Amino acid sequence: MMGQNFSRPSISIVLAMTLGLGTGCSHWIELAVSTDVAPTTSATVATDARVPVLLRTLQVTQNGAPVAPPTVLERQVLGAIEATRLFSQHYQSGFTHPAMEQARVTVHLSIDNLVDPHAGQAAWRGFVVGASMFTLAPFISLNYDYGTHMALEMERWDGQIKRYTATSNGSAHYNLFGASPDVIEQLKGQVTEACLSSLLNQVIEDSSFYLASNTQPQDHPIRTVSVGVRRPSNRAIPISRPLADSSTR
Amino acid sequence: MAALASPVHAADPTPHITVGTQEVSLSGGYLLPHRLTKDHTTKQQGPVFMPSWMMTLTDPIGDSWYRGQVSLGAEMVYIQFQEPFLTHGIGFTPKIKYTFVAHNRIRPYTEFAGGPFWTDLAGKIPEESSRFNFILSAGFGISYFLTNQTALNVGYRFQHISNAGTHYPNLGLNASLPYGGFSFFF
Repeated sequence: MMGQNFSRPSISIVLAMTLGLGTGCSHWIELAVSTDVAPTTSATVATDARVPVLLRTLQVTQNGAPVAPPTVLERQVLGAIEATRLFSQHYQSGFTHPAMEQARVTVHLSIDNLVDPHAGQAAWRGFVVGASMFTLAPFISLNYDYGTHMALEMERWDGQIKRYTATSNGSAHYNLFGASPDVIEQLKGQVTEACLSSLLNQVIEDSSFYLASNTQPQDHPIRTVSVGVRRPSNRAIPISRPLADSSTR
Repeated sequence: MAALASPVHAADPTPHITVGTQEVSLSGGYLLPHRLTKDHTTKQQGPVFMPSWMMTLTDPIGDSWYRGQVSLGAEMVYIQFQEPFLTHGIGFTPKIKYTFVAHNRIRPYTEFAGGPFWTDLAGKIPEESSRFNFILSAGFGISYFLTNQTALNVGYRFQHISNAGTHYPNLGLNASLPYGGFSFFF
């Protein structure tokens, strides 16, 4: 009998601690659906008609201030362009270039990032969590908003230019013990990926514009390739999950 | 794509502390008494050890000299009172810190902590009667980052110990605490 009386509060405490730590370590990310997202497009183009693409400039601003483009972002942009398979080769300004006489598409991309870490709110909520000896940690969430606006200018070898824009926003919500730089990086990565996908989806719709020849010979077969935008890994993740899972995207 | 493997972004000497960066630290100091009234007679003193954990809550706030980050965490405080009697005290305190980040590797900070504190010094001195007390600390310091993840800290705290009027007498113990330590960020 004593054992039963003793075990009930023990079990309750263990359950409460498990629940508290579990929810206190949670985080989740929400991506707002961009207003200019079109349905995913794909097309089939002749392999030999594709031309190289050169990423000439990549300008990044954060809350209006110019910042140096992170290497990972440059890779992400070129990776996304490469994944469309719309172009035959992929170059970046400052490295190897396609031959001067070779037809190519030149890309200028500007990215305006808007970061709102809700610093004041985080400070006050943190104070409240601390004053409660961390007992309120599972019930008070902290927020981090991130948005990006991309403007893409693509110039064809003959000087014709097309411009595209896309916008994407997202928010990360986390409890004190679920805070991690990985959560923020994950949010930024997903917002950027969603915005790039939206942008390149528009490019795919104009895929014939970027081919060296729109007229194809009818008398002999040609090799073709299917082009399209890779899907963003997650359109929205309104889920709560432990930090250990955050690295799997 | 092979051309993308470039060393354009070399090692940045500035510590990169962002939201969610955690800090564990160990500090040690020596408690020096302040007898603020004529009723205070005890000259309590002794070494203090303070392991702590903190979580960075904000990206840098502000654009001027006060640009800084808020972090929240918890600290264990152990005091070995060597005077007037060899006794001990141990406490657990939530702690909030504001770190000024305008000067890259040299980062001043202010901090505040408060929480429960147990000591067997109480009852043996005229200022305090109960062993269960509270400890409040407020102070400032400077972190010098040796690497992007490790820092040396030196600082000063004013410390107050009393029982919030739960027992009398409750004059409280006040002290200065100069300290030093190191932190690891991850």
